[in-house]
Amino acid sequence: MKKFIASIKKETILLLRDKIGLSILFIMPIILIIVMTLIQDSAFHTISEKGVPVVMVDNDHDVLGEAIFDGLKTSSLCTITDSIDGKKATTQSVKEAVSQGKYLIGIVIPENASNNIRKSVEELVNQSMGLEDIQNSKALDSVEIIMYVDPVAKNSIIVTVMSNLHEFIAGIKTKIMFETFTEQIGEILPEGNSAPKNVYEQTQIIHYKQVYASNLVNDVVPNAVQHNVPAWTIFGMFFIVISIVSNIMKEKKEGSAFRLYTMPTSYFLIISSKVFVYVSICFLQFIAMLLVGIYILPFVGLDSLDLGDSISGVLLLGLATAFAATGYGIFVGTLSLSEQQGAILGSLSVLLLSALGGIWVPAYVMPGAMRQISSFSPMNWSLDGFYLLFFRGTGFVGILAPVLKLMLFFALMMVFSLRIQKRRRAN
Amino acid sequence: MEQTPIIQIENISKFYKGADEPTLKGVSLEIFAGDIYGLLGPNGAGKTTLISILCGIIPPNSGSAKINGKDVFTNLTEMKQLIGVVPQDIALYPSLTAKENLQFYGAMFGVHGEELNNRINHWLERLGLSHAANRRIDKFSGGMKRRINLIASVLHNPAILFLDEPTVGIDVQSRTVIIEQLEELNKDGMTIIYTSHHLDEAENFCSNIGIIDYGKIIASGAPAELIEQTENARNLEDVFLHLTQRKLRD
Repeated sequence: MKKFIASIKKETILLLRDKIGLSILFIMPIILIIVMTLIQDSAFHTISEKGVPVVMVDNDHDVLGEAIFDGLKTSSLCTITDSIDGKKATTQSVKEAVSQGKYLIGIVIPENASNNIRKSVEELVNQSMGLEDIQNSKALDSVEIIMYVDPVAKNSIIVTVMSNLHEFIAGIKTKIMFETFTEQIGEILPEGNSAPKNVYEQTQIIHYKQVYASNLVNDVVPNAVQHNVPAWTIFGMFFIVISIVSNIMKEKKEGSAFRLYTMPTSYFLIISSKVFVYVSICFLQFIAMLLVGIYILPFVGLDSLDLGDSISGVLLLGLATAFAATGYGIFVGTLSLSEQQGAILGSLSVLLLSALGGIWVPAYVMPGAMRQISSFSPMNWSLDGFYLLFFRGTGFVGILAPVLKLMLFFALMMVFSLRIQKRRRAN
Repeated sequence: MEQTPIIQIENISKFYKGADEPTLKGVSLEIFAGDIYGLLGPNGAGKTTLISILCGIIPPNSGSAKINGKDVFTNLTEMKQLIGVVPQDIALYPSLTAKENLQFYGAMFGVHGEELNNRINHWLERLGLSHAANRRIDKFSGGMKRRINLIASVLHNPAILFLDEPTVGIDVQSRTVIIEQLEELNKDGMTIIYTSHHLDEAENFCSNIGIIDYGKIIASGAPAELIEQTENARNLEDVFLHLTQRKLRD
């Protein structure tokens, strides 16, 4: 035990004397969290607050054009205009403006679009009520709405605007259909149609209510802070790999490792003391980053991090992540033959594990095969655990599975490291 | 009365993975308690490998190494407590002070507390480094580092001290202090096994010499005996050149 304490003391002094290394361990991840959360948050607000810039030409001048323009105007998704540089937009000017990147989307509603819809609906109603023979029906003019799209626009944005557009068009079509039916029925019924004309507008058959499926006592609205703080905290914690690799490689290079091999002290004890110190540092990093999420982010205009209902669960998962990150660092340090090799291997593999783990892009948007691979990343286990705690309201027991996975990963890394070290010395 | 060897090496061979030929080819050797044994040889002859095997750092491919009659590799922890190793390179933490380094290495040998501090102070005094006890190693001169390198290996009073070129690259003053201290330790009963390229130093310092080349011991005995046995040899350097020839080594 005295040897273990002496080794811990040595590791702690070495770490504390490395001011640059220490500042990288603490300051860089904190800056990373603030910057990434701000970027993600502003990206989210660019779409949701300012909206996608859309320009529209209404050649219809009837209900369809009005419905689309008014609908998109009231939608938080878009900022819509019908003029370009103070002049009324035309089909040609819309195309040019979108190609120049002034607007992401340009919409052109053709002439007589509403009338054509009306005629089509009337014909369909007449046919369905047996008032007109299907065989004698005329070919109907279909309505073609043109959308000019900026090639740099994200497909997800286009799809969202398109779905809004479809909704408005479907609404108009249903309205015209309802009004036509009402008129036809009024003509058939002897008493005439006494229903008020605006009955369709007054009726809202389906309501939508968005409720987050969470067991949390207090509803937590998913936001950039809740998503980004755990993700970048895990990423920052795994970057301790670089510091551990540097520590192990320096020990080899400076000859201390050789001297230690000549002493009646096991390699396991030496490594265990490193694990103790680096897990402690990593856990302190974790606490610091959570505190940044809770207390610092609100100062830069972001929401405060909500830790959910199980603080003990958060701490346990943080500790397990610290063990996994440290174990991985010991493994890379043992595997590497030089400091440069270790630094490259450590940083690239952490980037790869983070990409696979869903730190940069959520795992659920990855293709099937990548999703499968993602489930092998310790960062993914940790991130899933934090999402369970922060969004789904899972308690202490609920996160034992990811905690167990992370601890098994740590144990595996230690076994590999000890084996590699033993093999290297034997050869 | 027949003396019992403190170190017995029998037919040791070592082949490094990827090497063209074995580094050690059936080396056998006996070293007696209280000896100052000089293991001499050109670069790449196998000196460091032989010492590494005796210290339990790397296992041999065949043969056996015994200390006090016990196999090194089956009693590794016990054997390591008996030995001290002064590596060829400075094996200290540059960002720790001299005292912090010595406290750590002393503790790794199981010496703790007041006893450890007393020994550290004693040795710093003995090697003229008391004034630099709290200075970081990276602020030390080469000679000062060599002296701390030696202290770190003797804090636990080992029975056998291995030194791999302990006086390389230092000034005459530091070299003299180190040699004097090693002689003192030897007088107190410590067995010393030493490698060096300073043949004049080895001639004066060692009671017995083993010359190793191409992984084999090619001569052994007291320096005076070896000089006497070699035709036209005036000193150990003549013996060395006669036995190992003038061909340059990698």
